[in-house]
Amino acid sequence: MRLLILFLLPLVLYSNECLVCHPKKMKQCENSNHFTLKNSINITRQTWGIKDSNVTLQTLPEPRVKIEKPSNLVDDFLRRKCLKCHLNSKTINKTNNLCLSCHSRHIDKYDFKKAKPTQKKCLKCHNNEFVGTDYLGLFPHDYDKAYRSPISKDGYYPNKQYGIDFHHLSSDIHFQKGLSCVDCHNKKGNKSWEDKVDCKSCHQKISKSNHKNYHEKISCNTCHSSWSSSSYELNVLRDDTKDYNQWKRLTVQEDIYLEKFLKKALKSKIKPNPKMPDYLTNKLKDGIWYSGWKFRRWENIFLVNDKNGKIKIARPMFQYRISYKDKNEKMILDDVYKIDNKKIEAFIPYSPHTITKKAKSCEMCHENRIMLDKGLINSDILKGRVINGSPFSNGQLEKLRSDFYKKERAKLLFK
Amino acid sequence: MKLLILLFITIINVFGSSKDDGCIKCHKDIVHRIDNSIMNNMHGVLDVLKYQFKETKTIEQTLGINYLKNKPSSKQTLAENHFSKLCAACHIDQDETIFNPNYHTPRGGGCVTCHRVEGVKGIDKIHKNLTTKIPSKNCLKCHNRSNRIGLSYFGKFESEGYGTPYKNGKLTHSIDRGRYYYELPADIHHTSAKLDCIDCHTEKGVMGDGKQHKHMEDSVDISCVDCHDAKFENTSKFGLAGMLIGLNGNMPYPKEIAVTKRKNSPLYQLQKEDDNITFYRKRDGKEFDISKMSDAPYHSSKNHERLDCTACHSSWIPSCYGCHEVYFKNGKQYDWIKHKKTKGKWMELRSYLRYESPALAIGYNEKIMPTAPGCQVITSIYDKNITNEGFHSFAYGAWDPHTTQKQSRGCVDCHFNPQTLGLGAGILDIKDNNITFQPYFNSVQSGLPISYPIDSLISKDGKQFQSFSRDKARGFNKKEVSKIVEVYKCIICHNKWDDKIYTDFKVSKELFYDKKTKCAKDILK
Repeated sequence: MRLLILFLLPLVLYSNECLVCHPKKMKQCENSNHFTLKNSINITRQTWGIKDSNVTLQTLPEPRVKIEKPSNLVDDFLRRKCLKCHLNSKTINKTNNLCLSCHSRHIDKYDFKKAKPTQKKCLKCHNNEFVGTDYLGLFPHDYDKAYRSPISKDGYYPNKQYGIDFHHLSSDIHFQKGLSCVDCHNKKGNKSWEDKVDCKSCHQKISKSNHKNYHEKISCNTCHSSWSSSSYELNVLRDDTKDYNQWKRLTVQEDIYLEKFLKKALKSKIKPNPKMPDYLTNKLKDGIWYSGWKFRRWENIFLVNDKNGKIKIARPMFQYRISYKDKNEKMILDDVYKIDNKKIEAFIPYSPHTITKKAKSCEMCHENRIMLDKGLINSDILKGRVINGSPFSNGQLEKLRSDFYKKERAKLLFK
Repeated sequence: MKLLILLFITIINVFGSSKDDGCIKCHKDIVHRIDNSIMNNMHGVLDVLKYQFKETKTIEQTLGINYLKNKPSSKQTLAENHFSKLCAACHIDQDETIFNPNYHTPRGGGCVTCHRVEGVKGIDKIHKNLTTKIPSKNCLKCHNRSNRIGLSYFGKFESEGYGTPYKNGKLTHSIDRGRYYYELPADIHHTSAKLDCIDCHTEKGVMGDGKQHKHMEDSVDISCVDCHDAKFENTSKFGLAGMLIGLNGNMPYPKEIAVTKRKNSPLYQLQKEDDNITFYRKRDGKEFDISKMSDAPYHSSKNHERLDCTACHSSWIPSCYGCHEVYFKNGKQYDWIKHKKTKGKWMELRSYLRYESPALAIGYNEKIMPTAPGCQVITSIYDKNITNEGFHSFAYGAWDPHTTQKQSRGCVDCHFNPQTLGLGAGILDIKDNNITFQPYFNSVQSGLPISYPIDSLISKDGKQFQSFSRDKARGFNKKEVSKIVEVYKCIICHNKWDDKIYTDFKVSKELFYDKKTKCAKDILK
């Protein structure tokens, strides 16, 4: 064993020791979305006005210097606000071994289970309003310092996880039963580990009386998830000036570096220059990216069709309002929320990881206020343009309140 | 008419800067009423606070501010200290010079806190800058916290504090320091007629009727039906009406005026001349038609006789969950009654905010009203050694949120919405004729000292988890929950009020269960 360690040590220090036994894995990894992050990158670039964006983390251009419109600013935004999470990010993996971002070391083939990605490792990136921490029932607190509650019994603010305070809502039943992410998200047969999980691969026996033919287009998750995360109107401001005072109550920006920087800047008599890291190069760059929501909710559920024709739950991602103030205090972009006269918004179909055995009530979809109520408050931001899918057609909306539905539901109610 | 005005002016000869040193000389009656009023003493707030902090077993009426004025700081209870530090800034007799306008809106000063408007000519030379046409902004100096009526009426919801959208690189939509809002639908009385607070709230309702009422709602004079189902009486019976019409100067002296049902005081702005009914806005005399409450079944049916107007016609309610009160015994903070820093410092934290789907409960008037947390107190108390000896006390309050809309809530929004029923957010269903409910919020895991979800006023079985600070107020009981949800079974198809099954619902149900109706044959097996 000692010999083996001595043999492996140089590899650990100078290259990726995993490749000695797993030479093909790096190639597989390089093709994965976890490595390229192309989905999140391109969705964001498209919503900010770059048509047909098709880049990866590795080919993401250097940010533009001359800024005239949101599309000139998006790469800077991605690098400094979103891409904190990537496989060779120092915030999630301090070693030079890419594999260790997700896997843990194992010594030989008999203890390979040690290499299995732990839930803790997955959640380093898959947290906040994204799928991941919802599996544990976690929903982020608001930023204002008044939401640093409750005070713990030993007299301190709550412990943050991933730089965030969380509310605890109902957790996923698979979590309650002890399953972790990779128990479902794994490689089986022809399926890639990144492919969507088919519930039926485990749950083969489902009751026919509860799963009628007229619901065959609905994904399992749509009925069996409980709450869902929706965050509305993400306002982002890149400010190259030293205007820190207005953020006094809002130093929690879900970014540990930025929170520390702001606290220090607010206390110092000589105000430091506004700088925060480009998380791809880990170099500090001019300007701070601030953000704030309109509001976030766990109750707001509505349905859309995904690109395969399945009916799924939708969430905003995101309804950006973009501002940029340069170092001369000139507003280059001032609350831009439309590009080509269309609102910057994208709702996407998704699968909340908040599964319960008990499905939603019929009413949560068939009497859904967001889809059906024309007089709903804030209806203009609660739904909108759908990407990777389509909104419900008029025909589908009518079906929600069809005589057939009413009769079937009444039968259940009077059963 | 001029004579009347002159008479009034003579009576109210010397308006000064404070009720004590000037106004009282002529307006003894009004000043006496104000002295006893809840806006002057704030005893409504203090007494409920003491009850909620478990210092009194029932709500015991005190003299509020006057009670605390002479009580040494060292003898203050926890609730009294909290009241003095956080609540007592707002009362009519507050010294308005103590406020630094850069940080706080000045308020108080006696009569002038409401009646003074800078830049306005005033009633006469003596009453310079003084008016009876009180602009709503004067009311909002105080009425913007707690249940936030003053903000809601104008369509402002105190937000989660993001100050969005950013404009010119700055946070926007500020209420005051560190507080922000976003826009929601304003009350229809504002959107359709730009009515001010005083267009509904009478002088007796605001300045008091001389009695020391226990709660604010006992002082309030106006009710919806006073205008929308008005009772008219001969104007000459009300000397006060003539005086106020004359002083206003923007409206005629009519044959008949409306009268409030609670305190029988003149609503002189709602006038009847022959068969014409006109509402005059006090600010400028602009005329409006008043829509009379319909006697359609949705109002006249016995099924809904326990509903307060606000239950259906309020579109949203500001709901602030979790009021984390942190008390530092050895800290120092400004006491708004003693006007100096005294021992004990408070910091307030929150859990989260919502405005959607107002929950309903039985209100102080035994009618069904909108309800929201008020307040869910979780205290943490520290001395030098950081020992936490806090307590918790979770309560709801029911009030008119002042977010009235013509359009009422839909049937399903009440009869099958867990939030409206007071269960909180989650999955409500009926299975095998039983109500099932699976809540979203997990209080224990969230570190709260309660076993039920923070937004659950009641359980699905009608067990009340959180208290009310009014004797008659409560959440729905088991029988009521089951009755409300039971109706939903019919609403699913019969979702219009003019549906004949609701003419005599009891008989309709009997016919249904006896399988004598068409739908019963299809549905019941």
